[in-house]
Parts: sequence; C-alpha cells; structure tokens
Amino acid sequence: MADRQNEITTATKAFILKEFLPGEDPDELLDTTPLLSGGILDSISTVKLVGFLEDTYGIEFQAHEISEDHLDTLQLVAQLVQEKLGSS
Amino acid sequence: MDFAFTEEQQVLRDEIVRFARAELNGDIEARDREGVFPHELWKRCGEMKLQGLPVPEGLGGVGLDALSTAIALEALGYGCRDGGLVFAVCAHLLACVIPVWKHGSPEQHARYLPGLAGGGLIAVNGMTEPGSGSDAFAMSTRAEADGDGFRLHGTKTFSSNGPVADVAVVYAVTAPEKKLGRITAFLIEKDTPGFSSGQTFHKMGLHTCPIGELVFEDCHVGPETVIGGVGGGETIFAQSMEWERICLVAGHVGTMQRLLEQAVEHARTRQASGRPIGRFQAVSHRIADMKVRLEAARLLTYRAAWRLGRSRESALDASITKLFASEALVDSALDTVRILGGSGYMAEYEAERALRDAVGGVLYSGTSDVQRNIIARWLGLLG
Repeated sequence: MADRQNEITTATKAFILKEFLPGEDPDELLDTTPLLSGGILDSISTVKLVGFLEDTYGIEFQAHEISEDHLDTLQLVAQLVQEKLGSS
Repeated sequence: MDFAFTEEQQVLRDEIVRFARAELNGDIEARDREGVFPHELWKRCGEMKLQGLPVPEGLGGVGLDALSTAIALEALGYGCRDGGLVFAVCAHLLACVIPVWKHGSPEQHARYLPGLAGGGLIAVNGMTEPGSGSDAFAMSTRAEADGDGFRLHGTKTFSSNGPVADVAVVYAVTAPEKKLGRITAFLIEKDTPGFSSGQTFHKMGLHTCPIGELVFEDCHVGPETVIGGVGGGETIFAQSMEWERICLVAGHVGTMQRLLEQAVEHARTRQASGRPIGRFQAVSHRIADMKVRLEAARLLTYRAAWRLGRSRESALDASITKLFASEALVDSALDTVRILGGSGYMAEYEAERALRDAVGGVLYSGTSDVQRNIIARWLGLLG
C-alpha cells in the first residue's frame, strides 16, 4: 500500500516538475509543499494535473475534490488517488 | 472523428429547423422592438425538449450526446431568427441545466430537471457581479454557514433570464481563505425569503432575453440547495462554461449559415450597373470570407463538442471555439449588413438585428480577450 502511494507521489511529482516547474530543483518540491495555497498550481494547471491523474489511473474526480482540501500537497493527491483506486 | 451526420442527427436537425421556422419567428420584429420575453414560445421549445437536449430521457430530457446537442442548437440558430430566444434557451440549458444534471443530487434531479428540461421552469445563472466580471471568481457574494445551511449576502448582475426566472444557479464564496475550493454552487428558488430580482437592464441586442440583477439579503438556504458538494463551485462553473462556449456558439454557426444564404440571395438578385452585385469582386470576396468563417467555425464547434467530456483539455477547445465563432459571427453579420446596403440597416431585413445580437457574443461567457488569456495559460505562457 505504501509502495503504491510512493509510486503515485513520484509520478505526480515528475508531472508537476516537467509541466509547471521546469528547471527547478526536484529536491525543493516536497511531499508537503503547498501546491495550490502556495501558488505553484493555478486553476488551469490544476485542471491539467487532474486530467493527468484521471488518464493515468483511470479514475474520475468529483467537483468538490478539485480543491485545496484534496490536492494541496503531493501527499494529499496520492492519498486521494489511492482511495479512488481502492474503491474502484 | 467523423462528422458526417447519422440518420438520427439529420432527422433531428431537419425537425428543429422546420419547428423553428414554423413556430418561433412570428412577430419577431415587434418582440425585439418591445423587448418582450416570449413565454409561449419558451413553452413550445419545452415541448420539443430543446431546454433538455443532453439530459437523459429518464430525467426528462432527450439524452443526446454533446455533438448531437451542438447540431441541434446549430439547427435552432439557423431556423429561429429570434436571437434573444435562442440565447435564452442556451443560457438556461448550458449554464444552469448542465450543472444540475451533472452535479445535482437525486432529489434535485427529481424536483427540477423535468421542469427545466421541459420548459416548465426558467433558470438563471448567477455569477457576474458589479465588481467582478472577467475575474468571476473574485466575487464578493458570501454564503456563511448557518446551522446546517447557509446564509447568502450579495448581488449578481447581468444575469440573463433573471427577470423571468423561477430558479437560480448561484455561486457564492464559502471558504474565503482558500485559493481553490472557495466557492460553492447553490440551486435556489425564486420565492426563497431574502432572494429578489433587482434592476433590469436595456441592452444593445438580444432584446427578447431579459437581463437583470439577483439580490441576496440575509437569504437562508438549506443544505439541500448545494450543488455538487461544498467547495465544488469553481469546477462546476468551469464545466458549464465549457458546454456554453462550445454549444452556444453552435447556434452562432446556424445563424452564420442563415446570414450567408441571405447575402448570397441578395448578391444574386440585386442589380447594379446592369448586373447582379455578386458579379463584383468586392461583394463576392466578402461572401467568400463569410463562407470560410462559417466552415471553420462549424468544424471547430463539432470537434470541440465531440471532445467535450472526453478530455479535460476540452476547456482549451472551448475557449478556441468560442473566441473564433463569436468573432466570426460579428464579422459575418456586419458583412451581411454591408452587402445588403441601405436595406441591411433597416429593421425589416433583420440583418441589423443579427448584428446587434452578435455583439453580445464577444462579451458573454468570457470576453474574447479572456478566451485569449485562457488559451495562453493552457500554453504555459501566462502565470
């Protein structure tokens, strides 16, 4: 279970670094770095991230899940994706 | 992608064109002049379920996919010369019915969708505010938690269908400290205490679709009015704008087809210096440009509608389509006026009304410059 969560975190981190933080030091993006509240992701980049997660894992996000409460850190993202995978 | 019409789509298109021509165009000049919302015609559209085209049949609609919905609205824009009525149907369907259908509870579906899809109810979308238009999420309307419900304070403006609406899809801030997940969508009935209609506005075009304010003063609503969960407002609104920016401009495509036919007919029959004016290159090239705009807008619309719901990138498709088709309609309406000359400036030829109606299209649902900003942001150019 922890392996799966690590795998999701790693893939999500790689996507964010490539798409939104090109050239940034990967070590600066921690599992707890605030993505939305910290201004790394805006509304459109969040939609891109959600699209990546939906396409990669075959899941679907509800409207209220596309929010700071569920997507503000890599840790939260991985938890939500894993929950969805577990319930699918 | 194959955009050849299926037999069902062809029948649907033909049926809507026939209905619109026969039922929706009477007295249009007077209606436009007097700014009258045609309640009876709204009901006739409801009998055809035009207000519920993509809603599943079990919930009161027709159950069309997004591409077929666009084809149907293109047919409405082609057959119906009342641009205000077409706009009223589209604003109701795309900005109100879609959020209720896609994100509403089973109770909301049962209570509202049959009426919304069948013309028994009129809905208004409450988003724009006096202090926030293009930056819609910078709204000041608040919904504060109160018991198990919410208490709304604020004013929405430029709300199409507002003065005649029975229910409102209203967006309000529930978590001001957040950057995303700060807004919640509500479905609120007109007679809810604390909810009233404010000022109505006179506008340049779309006269048969009334527009006005929605005022919320200490308006208490229960938890059953929330659409799609607390904090889902931004995503729900964004999805409704994808539908609107794609399927509303499908109506523009139909209007452009009608204007092109009007311009060609005039250019073939109107004589100047002993020959039809269409023989003059200045006129024929203008009409050729109208044809190019029409076909490009149609292809963009069909492609975007086909992708709607298949990819999160349909938000980008929607902005591209809306930007191009709304600007194309203004250009083609103005070209029609130019080709018709003095007649084009007269109300009875209806090209001047088409032009006035078209101008709204580069403003509502996000201005053309907002669409350019969205496209640029999708390309990673603006932060």
